[in-house]
Amino acid sequence: MLAINNLEAGYGKVKVLHGISIQVPKGQVVTLIGSNGAGKTTTMRAVTGMIKPTAGEIKLGTTSIEGFDSYQIARLGLAHSPEGRRVFSTMTVTDNLILGAYPRLTRSRPKGDIKGDLDRALELFPRLKERRDQLAGTLSGGEQQMLAMARAIMLNPEIILLDEPSMGLAPILVDEVFRIIARLKSEGITMLLVEQFAAAALNVADYGYVLENGRITAHGPADKLKNDPAVKAAYLGGSH
Amino acid sequence: MKIKQVLLIAAIVALIGFPLVIDNPYYIHLVETILIYAVLLFGLDIVVGYTGQVSLGHAGLFGIGSYVAGVLFMKLGMPIWVTIPAAITITALFGGLLALPALKVIGPYLAMVTLAFGTIIQILINEMSFLTEGPVGIKIPKPSIFGTVATEDQYYWIVCVLMLLSLLVVHRIMKSHLGRAFEALRDSPVACDCMGVSVYRYKVYAFVISAGFAGLAGCMYAYSEQYISPNTYVIELSILFLLAVIMGGRKSRIGAILGSFIIVMLPKLLDDIVLFRMVAVVLAVLFIILSLVSLSKKLTTVRKVSIPLAGIVGLAAFSFWLENITDWRLTIFGFMILLVVYYLQDGIVGFVRNYYAALTGKSAQAARDAQALLQIKPSGKDVIHAASDTTKGGTLLSVKSVLMQFGGLKALNNVDLTIERGTIHGLIGPNGSGKSTMMNVLTGIYVPTAGDVVYSSNSVVGKTSSEIALSGIARTFQNVQLFGEMTALENILVGLHHTFHSSLLDVSLHLPKYTNEESAARARAMGLLQFVGLESLANEEARNLPYGKQRVLEIARALALDPNLLLLDEPAAGLTAPDIKDLLVIIQKIREHGITIILIEHHMDVVMAACDKVSVLDFGQKIAEGKPAEVQADEKVIEAYLGGQSA
Repeated sequence: MLAINNLEAGYGKVKVLHGISIQVPKGQVVTLIGSNGAGKTTTMRAVTGMIKPTAGEIKLGTTSIEGFDSYQIARLGLAHSPEGRRVFSTMTVTDNLILGAYPRLTRSRPKGDIKGDLDRALELFPRLKERRDQLAGTLSGGEQQMLAMARAIMLNPEIILLDEPSMGLAPILVDEVFRIIARLKSEGITMLLVEQFAAAALNVADYGYVLENGRITAHGPADKLKNDPAVKAAYLGGSH
Repeated sequence: MKIKQVLLIAAIVALIGFPLVIDNPYYIHLVETILIYAVLLFGLDIVVGYTGQVSLGHAGLFGIGSYVAGVLFMKLGMPIWVTIPAAITITALFGGLLALPALKVIGPYLAMVTLAFGTIIQILINEMSFLTEGPVGIKIPKPSIFGTVATEDQYYWIVCVLMLLSLLVVHRIMKSHLGRAFEALRDSPVACDCMGVSVYRYKVYAFVISAGFAGLAGCMYAYSEQYISPNTYVIELSILFLLAVIMGGRKSRIGAILGSFIIVMLPKLLDDIVLFRMVAVVLAVLFIILSLVSLSKKLTTVRKVSIPLAGIVGLAAFSFWLENITDWRLTIFGFMILLVVYYLQDGIVGFVRNYYAALTGKSAQAARDAQALLQIKPSGKDVIHAASDTTKGGTLLSVKSVLMQFGGLKALNNVDLTIERGTIHGLIGPNGSGKSTMMNVLTGIYVPTAGDVVYSSNSVVGKTSSEIALSGIARTFQNVQLFGEMTALENILVGLHHTFHSSLLDVSLHLPKYTNEESAARARAMGLLQFVGLESLANEEARNLPYGKQRVLEIARALALDPNLLLLDEPAAGLTAPDIKDLLVIIQKIREHGITIILIEHHMDVVMAACDKVSVLDFGQKIAEGKPAEVQADEKVIEAYLGGQSA
């Protein structure tokens, strides 16, 4: 579904990514793990068009999207649940979700059953359903994270990019977020997941990539990667 | 000698020598006007560029400066060495007045209020005929020096000297702790207050200093024009000043001079069709060369460059089609400003800097900074100061039945907390349970609806954030609140603001008191960066650091405050397992200095490893408290917070 080939990107003259390649096949969950400053967020930004890659290719389905603007990429069916949530804080939960379907409302994506999808998204996140008329800014951090994920789903996307969905969440909510990811996966939604909780991410994912200093240093099926001693030592320490 | 110094000296020599070469008084007067406006723009840049406020009232301040000189001369026959300090002082007072609304309102509202201020000043000058002669205006000769009236050339030199002095003083202020405080309050007012730098006070300072320069400029302007009347100090002039800062480039003295040059010279160049054609052609040629270079180096795309190129070449073509410029003058002036403001958002100086950086792969500033950095020796002494409060044991902070109500929502509902000296106290709970609200109550950002917070036997309720910070409570923020446009080193230096006691005079003259404080602070700041492992990133702008590094930078900045109590709000959020290990080491070292820590965290492994005692909040109420292991086994905590993942 998403193919990244020899991607190079950075800020100004500072190069962060030195030619990385990642494949996300349709219907699979692929995770990208790595330490701070390794380039995970930069990868996400390059894929979503927030920064322009300096070299390499990004293909969504059969379309090359490198150099596209973010809104064009969204119209092609790539939904993004950004790091730090970024919900529209002065709008209600429902309005946030409907905005997620905006390309469908303007017919730049097939319209489908928006009302039905809204109900489905709210079913998926009961906490949001309780608070559907509340302003997004008044939600707690965990609820905002759910809203960002639900908003991404509303695009009826080909693929969802999840950037640090568990960041700043209480342990009980971390579990819930991963349960939701697993559920989305079982519904056949393709996802690229960036996570600090490498163990949890590898549990839910089919395939994993390890990013170090802007290069892919290891990749393989998630259960294999999970038992790789080097990966274990570097990323799977701690209780999660 | 470095090229920069040679250039600077050459520029000063050219400036001083100008009247000796050109003896046309018209041109001398033009350059004089540029210099006078530049002084005002140095000041305006403090408010606009550094503190990020908008002022449309500076023409009014400029007018006050002029009229102080005019009235003092007309009524009392005062000489220039009296009128200059008087103009600076009185205008600075009015600047303080203008700062008051800036403390309440921001953005477009502030623009409106300052605009009203400028208008009122102009109307007052017009109406108060008993003092100002009203619309008739005041005539004032060139100042007398040593008994003789200064010639046009001599006055030009006086202006030159005053401009250069202003340049030096502004530059020094902006590079000092004062300049850093101004920038800090722009980037994050909340963090600024929590670093003990009162946003309230420094906003007023910025306006006062800025107004002082406007007053000086106004005073020089009165002598330069030899006639002042109310209709000079109109709103259009304020807008022109603001444009000059934006076009020249914020946070830059060269930018101010360039901006001043543009607003004075451009209208003159547009007076004459032949001159205008020349200017238009030169600009077009320059731009074509620039575009070709950029395209060949792949710095830009044809698509991006085509519209401004078409605009500027079109302007050149248009200039030859025109037969008479008078009707078109203002339209063209507006069009050119539009091009600059739209395409060069960092101003001309900012554009040149960025372009140079893109072209050579390194920024000149970065190279210079790296050089300067090598000269800072990190302080060898212990960079974390031990808690000043050396009492052992006992209660450092007690929260007594605090209620924090937002509308109908009780974010904190009768919470009691007791923090023992020298311990690490964990605060956990579901998202939205009131942990961050508690932090904000402790640091004075919120005033609790009821209850009391007692820190070292003093109540902190009702104190401002900066007072609380200076009394020894430092914090980090859940949503990182660094000063984004400042470097990592400068961020720490803002935290060290409390170590500076230099006055404006010490800073302007670089007296030993200031230079010693500055070098000590820099050494300590480098030491603190080293402590958290960021010394190699000292010159990186904070906003460009990866998230995890931003979090540890916040800890280092908080330590710079020499706290007794450190509040860490989710320090491990967004960190990977190895980073978390480093973080634990940092926390342990901080504790060894006797600093008490309150730790909000969701990573249970961090809480378990670090904390002596843990309190659990849920829906604004404390539901459990005790040793980490006890809390972890508590049924209520598992149900509300930990879920199945309590291992």
